[in-house]
Amino acid sequence: MSEVRLQVQNLCKTFGITKAVQNVSFNINKGEVHALIGENGSGKSTLTNMLTGIYSIDSGTFILDGKEIHPRNQVEANKEGVSIIVQELGTLDGLTVAENIFLGHEDMFVKFGIKNTNAMNRRATELLHQYGFDKIKASDPIENYNFEDRKLVEIVKATYFNPKIVVIDETTTALSQEGREELYKHMNRIRAEGNTVIFISHDLPEILDKSDTITILRDGVYIDTIKSADVDEDGLKKLMVGREVSGAYYRADYGEKISDEVVLSVKNVTVPGLIKNVNFDLHKGEILGFGGLSESGMHEIGKAIFGASYDREGSVTLADGTQINDIPTAIKHSIAYTSKDRDNESIVMNQSIGDNIVLPSLDDLANSAHLLSDKKLKEFANKFAVEMSVKMVNTDQFVSDLSGGNKQKVVLARWIGKDSDIVVLDSPTRGIDIKVKQDIYQLMDQMRKNGKSIIMISEELMELIGMCDRILIMKDGELNGELDRSPELNENLLISKMV
Amino acid sequence: MGSSNTASAGKKLSGTVKGYIILALLVVLSWLVFKIATPSNFGSPSNMLSYLEASLIAAVGAVGFYFVMVMGMFDFSIGANIVLSAIIGCKLATQFGLGYPGLILGCAATGALVGLLNGTFYVTLRIPSMIVTTGLALIYEAVANIISGKETLPTNMMAFGKMPGNLILAVVAFIIAYLILNYTKIGTYTYAIGSNEFVAKNMGINVNKYKVLAFVISGAFLGIMAVLTISYGSSMVAVTGMASMSRNFVPTMGCFFGMAFKKYGIPLQAIIIGEFVINIIFYGFIALGAPTAIQDVITGLALLIIITLTTRVAKGEIVK
Repeated sequence: MSEVRLQVQNLCKTFGITKAVQNVSFNINKGEVHALIGENGSGKSTLTNMLTGIYSIDSGTFILDGKEIHPRNQVEANKEGVSIIVQELGTLDGLTVAENIFLGHEDMFVKFGIKNTNAMNRRATELLHQYGFDKIKASDPIENYNFEDRKLVEIVKATYFNPKIVVIDETTTALSQEGREELYKHMNRIRAEGNTVIFISHDLPEILDKSDTITILRDGVYIDTIKSADVDEDGLKKLMVGREVSGAYYRADYGEKISDEVVLSVKNVTVPGLIKNVNFDLHKGEILGFGGLSESGMHEIGKAIFGASYDREGSVTLADGTQINDIPTAIKHSIAYTSKDRDNESIVMNQSIGDNIVLPSLDDLANSAHLLSDKKLKEFANKFAVEMSVKMVNTDQFVSDLSGGNKQKVVLARWIGKDSDIVVLDSPTRGIDIKVKQDIYQLMDQMRKNGKSIIMISEELMELIGMCDRILIMKDGELNGELDRSPELNENLLISKMV
Repeated sequence: MGSSNTASAGKKLSGTVKGYIILALLVVLSWLVFKIATPSNFGSPSNMLSYLEASLIAAVGAVGFYFVMVMGMFDFSIGANIVLSAIIGCKLATQFGLGYPGLILGCAATGALVGLLNGTFYVTLRIPSMIVTTGLALIYEAVANIISGKETLPTNMMAFGKMPGNLILAVVAFIIAYLILNYTKIGTYTYAIGSNEFVAKNMGINVNKYKVLAFVISGAFLGIMAVLTISYGSSMVAVTGMASMSRNFVPTMGCFFGMAFKKYGIPLQAIIIGEFVINIIFYGFIALGAPTAIQDVITGLALLIIITLTTRVAKGEIVK
């Protein structure tokens, strides 16, 4: 049972200035389910993406059954005996179920350049039957199936050729209980055949129940490898988080009374399929946190407040009675929003730092004839870029050149420049290093003291505990509890309401 | 997709049938509108056959261009390709005495070469395909003009300008396009790259190679379209200054039909019938004696309406 299958040796990977994986070494055995755990950004997915050829390796090696492997893409990884079921959708529209299963491996059905579609469909049908997925038809376009069924197709795609290692990357969160059970069944089968599953999940009870061995990563660094039988949930959490809340890092104050003045009132807000019947008030000078699992609906809260949700029901009302139903109204009434998906939804990547900062403030900066002065725009952009200490040559530099943390500073500079009274920050410190995190926390604290109201949506429990006056926990699209700021508040209290 | 001919796909079959019904309705509707408006000189069976013949020309180019469009790329050099291919093909057939083989192979090879250049420049320079092909179109036009200002096919070489020659050539081209799309890796990879280039790359697909190949296939089919074009009109003038752009419109419109009906699994069939619908509308206006400006306005609007009604865009999806 303890024969080594995969040796991870001195593995490193950096993205810009972010060290995603730092000198990580450990072993994974044959015939086991080996869990990889850690907070967001701990390097789990980066590591498995290197193993499966999705990312290149900066330095270090993977040794599979005694042989060094360097897959450059998933098909090469498959040939080495490694496959992956990814977190997001891993199947392609426009192709049939069978074409998706055999994508990159069509050659087994091609003779003289002609693809034998019938043989491919037959083989796929056999496999689907063997896996018990008879409801899925090999010749159907994949678009005919929902997310869950498409994940089942991915299970077939990733395992039909009997790989030595199957990586399952946070797949279970997206599946219903039935889908999960199906996946567990195949994990057990793979283990029983003497092969290995590398299992990534944020669900700690699931990790303890389904895995044999657990490796913990933190901020890209290897922490420990332990037997699942030798640890409990609390022990795992301690290993995952590892650091204490310190006054210098987060806010240090406790016991301050929140103002009674309500600046924003959310009543019966529902976004079909995402959030249900959410009610809360935001007070002046308050940092209100939203926590929950990634799919709990909390990320939609920010969009709903900013008027960016589709088919939103219910009301978002300001103190003066203004209803916020669209983005222009939100901006006009001093609401700011930074998305979790910074690169696609917040930053205009192919524009300069200056262009990004002045974007929502152009109306304010225009003169009475609606003309803009280049000098004025530059001064404005520079003032707030410097205030946010963006690391740059000047504001003409393209945002695409900046690191994740500096991009986030540009986004924040934009809204500080706009002098917004209500700031909605979705995952403001996602993927950025400790120093910039600290800058952002200090900025939030200063804004709060200046009477600004902040909504912070975050998957990082420690920053919610460290920064917020109140924390609302979301579960399955609904509010599932409220916790007030207190030195006694700990992650367990939050987690107990999240899952 | 490979499954379009598979009877077992229950949902798919109903989708396919639905697609054919919509296409048939479009044909009947466009015919009916003009038949009512101008009953005497429009839409007789022999008229309809001649509209169909005329539509084959652009349909041949469009089924090739479909490979480029599905991958999310564009080509503004369609017209320039047709002009250059026709000039060279005609020259090979007449001055070099190579006859029909010279005409067909000359046009197809020139078209494929133009496609190869388009694709190679596009993947090498890493700038949008629309810009690359616009720049190259100017060059192709100039090259055609340098080779010859005008080429004319002799009357004894017009077999592909009339029945059954034009139909045979077009049907052969459609069958080849259908086989490539449904029965080779190229077809699968075309859809895979169009769906998500990043995932396709991770599956070991040489994305750049298949993008260039798509341009080559498209170019070759546009070369065959050039054969039909010069055979139908008997001569080709090597215009310059982007005047060839007007030839882009009809094949591109047919290709939009293909994109819109992709979800029904019958893109190539939709291109062929779509080009037929476009020609019914076009000849309908001629029968009405409508001024060209009005014809253009209505044709443009008809295109927008048809594509809007057949394309469903998800909420929040960014359309560019």
